[in-house]
Amino acid sequence: MMAQSIRKNLRVISSAFEVTLRTNIVDSFVLFTILLQPLVIAVLAMWMLSGRDTSNAIYAVVGSGMTGLWSTLLFMGGNSINWERWTGTLELLVGQPSHLSLIVFGKNLGVVLQSLGSMLASYLLAAVLFRAPLHVEHPALFAVSLVFTVFAFVCFGLVIAPIFLMNPQVQHWQNAMEFPVYMLSGFLFPIALLPGWTTPLSYVLAPYWAARALHGSSSGGASQQEVLIAWGMMVALGVAYMFLSRWLMGVMLHKARADATLRME
Amino acid sequence: MSRLWLNLRLFLRGALLSYIALFAWLRPATYAASKVVMPLAQILFFTLLGTFATGQANAHFYIIGNAIQIAAVSGIYGVTMSVGGDRWAGTLPYLLGTPANRLAMFSGRAFFHVIDGVIGVVVGLGWGVVLFGLDLSRTDPLALALAILITTFSTSGLGLLLGCISLVSLETMFINNTAYFLLLIFSGANIPLAQLPGWMREISWALPLTRGIAAARALIDGQGLHEVAPLLAGEALLGLVYLLVGYSLFRWFEYQAKRRGTLEAF
Repeated sequence: MMAQSIRKNLRVISSAFEVTLRTNIVDSFVLFTILLQPLVIAVLAMWMLSGRDTSNAIYAVVGSGMTGLWSTLLFMGGNSINWERWTGTLELLVGQPSHLSLIVFGKNLGVVLQSLGSMLASYLLAAVLFRAPLHVEHPALFAVSLVFTVFAFVCFGLVIAPIFLMNPQVQHWQNAMEFPVYMLSGFLFPIALLPGWTTPLSYVLAPYWAARALHGSSSGGASQQEVLIAWGMMVALGVAYMFLSRWLMGVMLHKARADATLRME
Repeated sequence: MSRLWLNLRLFLRGALLSYIALFAWLRPATYAASKVVMPLAQILFFTLLGTFATGQANAHFYIIGNAIQIAAVSGIYGVTMSVGGDRWAGTLPYLLGTPANRLAMFSGRAFFHVIDGVIGVVVGLGWGVVLFGLDLSRTDPLALALAILITTFSTSGLGLLLGCISLVSLETMFINNTAYFLLLIFSGANIPLAQLPGWMREISWALPLTRGIAAARALIDGQGLHEVAPLLAGEALLGLVYLLVGYSLFRWFEYQAKRRGTLEAF
C-alpha cells in the first residue's frame, strides 16, 4: 500500500518535472536566467577576481553558477503556483487527488536541474574564453554536494512558491531578492564581509550551505568535516523547509478556497 | 507658434500619461523593490565583490560605477515599458492613427523616466555616502548633477531604441535584461576600461553610460566641469543618436505596418 502510494507520488513528481523541462526549454526568460545572466556575472567575477590567486577561476565559476541557480529558483520556482493560477489551471491541480506540493516539487526539480546548466556554461566560458585553470580539488565531494544542493534548493522553492501566491506584495519584491541572497549565501565573496547581524540570516538559508559545500570541495578551501556539516545542514534545512511548506500550502489553499481566488485574472 | 505649443503639450501630456498608465512598476511596493532596494542591492553586491577582489581602497570605483549604472533601470526598463506598453494595451493602432507629431509623441515617452533615473542615481550615490562613506566633498554638485542628467538622457535614448524593438518582438524582457547586464561589463561600472581588450573598448564607447561614469568618477575625484566637458558632450551626442535611430525605426515600423495592413498584428 505504502509502496503503491510512493510510486503514485513519484509518478506525479516526474510528470510535473517533465512538463516543466519541456516548457522552460523554449522560454527566453529561463534561458536568460540560466545562461546569459550567470555568464555575465562569471565574466565580471573572473575579471574582478583575476588579481587574486589562480584558484579563483573555479571559485568564480561555481559562484556565478550558483547565482543562476538562485535566480532561476526565485523567478521560476517562486512563480510555480502563480503561473498555474495565471493560466487557469490551478483549480484543476488543486481539485485532483495528489497534493499540490508534489507538483510544485516536480516543477522545482525541473527548474533547479535545468539551472545547473548555468554552472556548466560558466565553466565553458572560463575554460574557452579565459583559458583559466579549472581544477576541482575533490570531485567526488563536489558531485555529492551538487546532489544535496539540488535537494536543498528544491525544498527552498517549496517555501517560496506558496508565499508568493498568498501575498502578491511579496512577489513584487522578487526583483529585489536576487542580489541579497547572492551576498548572504556567499556565492562570490565570504559572508565575513557583511555585518555580523546578517550571519544568522545566512545560516538559515540553504543556498549558503550549498555554497560552502561546493566552494569547499571545488577550491579545496574546506575540510571534509566542514563539507559534511554543510551537507547535514542542507538536509536538515531541506526537511524543515518541507514541513514549513506543507503548512504554508495548507494555509494558502484554505485561504484561496475560502476567498474563491484559485482562479484570478 | 501655436503648432510649437501644441507639440509641447503633446510631449508633456503624452509623457505624463505614458508614465502613469504604462510604467508597470508605478506601485509603491514594486517601485520600492525595483527602483530603491534592487539598486542598493546591486551596489552592495558589486562593491563588496570589488573590494574583496581588489581591496577596500577601490570601493569608490565600484560605488560610483554602479550608482550611475542604475540609470539604466529607468532608461531601459521604464522607457521600454512606456513605448511598448501601447502594444500590449491595444492602443497602438489608435496612437498611430492620430496626426500627432511623432517625434514629440515618441521622445516624450522618455521624459519622466529621465527624471526618475536622475532620482535613482542620486539615491544610489546617497547609499554610497551613507554605507561606504563615499566622499563628495571635492565634487562640484552642479557639474555632477549635469553629468547624471546627461547620462540618464543617453541611457533613455537606448531605451527608446529598445522600446521600438519591443513593438515588433515578443522577447522584450530578454532583450532588456541582456542589454542591462551587458552594460555592467561594457560601461566600465565594474571593470576599468583600460583592462578591457581593444574590441570591447570600442563597444564600450558606443554605448551609453561609459562616458557618464567616467565623468562622474572624475568629478567626484575633484576635477572640474571643463575637464569632463568632452565626455559629457559625447554622452549627450550619443543619447541623441540613439533617440534619432529609435525614432527612425519607430517611423519605419509605422510605415511598414500601415503598408502591409499589420497594425492590428502588433
